[in-house]
Amino acid sequence: MTAGAHSASDAYLTLTQESTAAAIDARNTATTRQASAAAQTVVHAQWDIALRDLDFVLKLDDNGDGNIVWAELRKHQQAIAAYAYTNLMFSADGGSCRIAPTRQMVDDHADGAYASLMFDVTCPGTPARLTVDYRLFFAIDPSHRAIVVSRSGENVATAVLSPDKASIDLPLRPQASR
Amino acid sequence: MAPVAAPVATATAPASPFRAPYVPTSDTEVLQQVPADADPTVRDMKLLRNALELDPTSLAAADRLARAYIDFGRELGDAHYAGYAEAVLAPWLAKAPSPPVALVDEATILQYRHQFSEARRQLKLALAQDANNAQAWLTLATIDMVQGDYPSAVHECSQVAASGGSVLGIACTGNVRSYLGQAQQSQVILTQIAGDAPSLTVPFKAWVQGLLAETSERLGDWTQAEDHYRKALALTPKDNYLLVAYADFLLDRQRPAEVLTLLRDSSQSDTAFLRLALAKAALNSPDLPQYVWIMGARFEALAQRGSDYYGREQVRFALYLQHDPRLALDLAERNWQVQRAPWDARVFLEAARAAEQPQAASAVLAFIRDTKLQDPVIEPLARQLETQMTAPTVSTR
Repeated sequence: MTAGAHSASDAYLTLTQESTAAAIDARNTATTRQASAAAQTVVHAQWDIALRDLDFVLKLDDNGDGNIVWAELRKHQQAIAAYAYTNLMFSADGGSCRIAPTRQMVDDHADGAYASLMFDVTCPGTPARLTVDYRLFFAIDPSHRAIVVSRSGENVATAVLSPDKASIDLPLRPQASR
Repeated sequence: MAPVAAPVATATAPASPFRAPYVPTSDTEVLQQVPADADPTVRDMKLLRNALELDPTSLAAADRLARAYIDFGRELGDAHYAGYAEAVLAPWLAKAPSPPVALVDEATILQYRHQFSEARRQLKLALAQDANNAQAWLTLATIDMVQGDYPSAVHECSQVAASGGSVLGIACTGNVRSYLGQAQQSQVILTQIAGDAPSLTVPFKAWVQGLLAETSERLGDWTQAEDHYRKALALTPKDNYLLVAYADFLLDRQRPAEVLTLLRDSSQSDTAFLRLALAKAALNSPDLPQYVWIMGARFEALAQRGSDYYGREQVRFALYLQHDPRLALDLAERNWQVQRAPWDARVFLEAARAAEQPQAASAVLAFIRDTKLQDPVIEPLARQLETQMTAPTVSTR
């Protein structure tokens, strides 16, 4: 079945706090490498953005035939990342966090195909809260919404971001101390 | 499929038909369809956007682009364009007072999203500045018709005519009458307007043919109704509203195979997709579960974002594709608070009958009596429920 566009523009941002064990392992590794390395918190993220929406701003359908094919999308992946990541910011307990893109894939949703941007958010220390500041598409489509799901241990927090509520604080699980 | 977009799980829900995030292997794999450059409407929108970029302070340029987006989105049944239009209007809506033309455009978007109270507020602000704004009166009349406030609609239609939109006003009046047990008069008025064809624009002619089709349905004249649907679609073949109305007509006539052909290129529209799924159900098609899953996921995505503009469709989905009459009745009750067109009454009665709760429909039955609604499908349904209401009921607990 051909997937088409759907009624309104949504993006899906899924955040998963790295498991405690992995975080400690990471810290141990860091510690072994560099004795003075400060603790840090890593959150894995998957950000699905509709190709339909990206095409409106970045024109992915190069030959204009009405079909975005893989070759066309691949050519625009860098532009997509550049555009998307300037419209998303993370901070934690007031300190800013770093976004490190890992890879870009394709994800099918009920209303069409999405660019799936995978990345890690690294924040200094062991903050209690992660703040998301989201601006993607709001200037060209105020009805765009970001559906945010955040998993931290057993806690699952969900939120919908809109131009009126473009920022959200998400709880982070306290890191186990050794 | 990302886990967050999964629909509410039910015991019988099939697994998502989508694979996990992937990297395509073939350069030529089609991932997504978008409007093609060759589409004349797409070309027009591009020209209008360039015109606005050259003259960003021009209200006329903003209005033209916003209207083009709104019309294209309506045609496709794709609400993205309503959002794009809103962005174009935003600087004008931020001004106090906002120019009436921007307020009317914004009201059209809000009406499309079924945010009727907000739409009314914008229209009243526009009319306070410009009492002769025919488009504002017409939009207000349309909202009142959707919400079943026919006396107000009659008044507003006369204001459309008085504000210089005489043919528009007459068509408006003809439309209201079809809901007030005067479908015959409605047909006469609309036929007369359709006869003035050469002087009318194509979208207006199509609109009148669509109204005639619905009026013929009120009168139970299926041959006439189909003739008008075909005439309307010959004028505007991609109009989502007409396609969906004709699909409903075909589903009622037990012609589901024709629905699949009619809506072949319209699966992007949620309203059209529901009719495709209903046709698949009528045909016992093996890919029905996939259609049901996708429809459910689309409604779920709307719920997640806090939008709820397809009340009528959600009732039919719950009733005929999820087979959950209680849920359907609950959705019908909520929908009735917002929309009261004949189809809203019909799905309410169908849900009440399926849930065996005729008394739940008493307000709808009263509305049908008060407005003298004529409809060969709704009338027998209403009589049946009225009989059940007066019959002794067997308690279920």
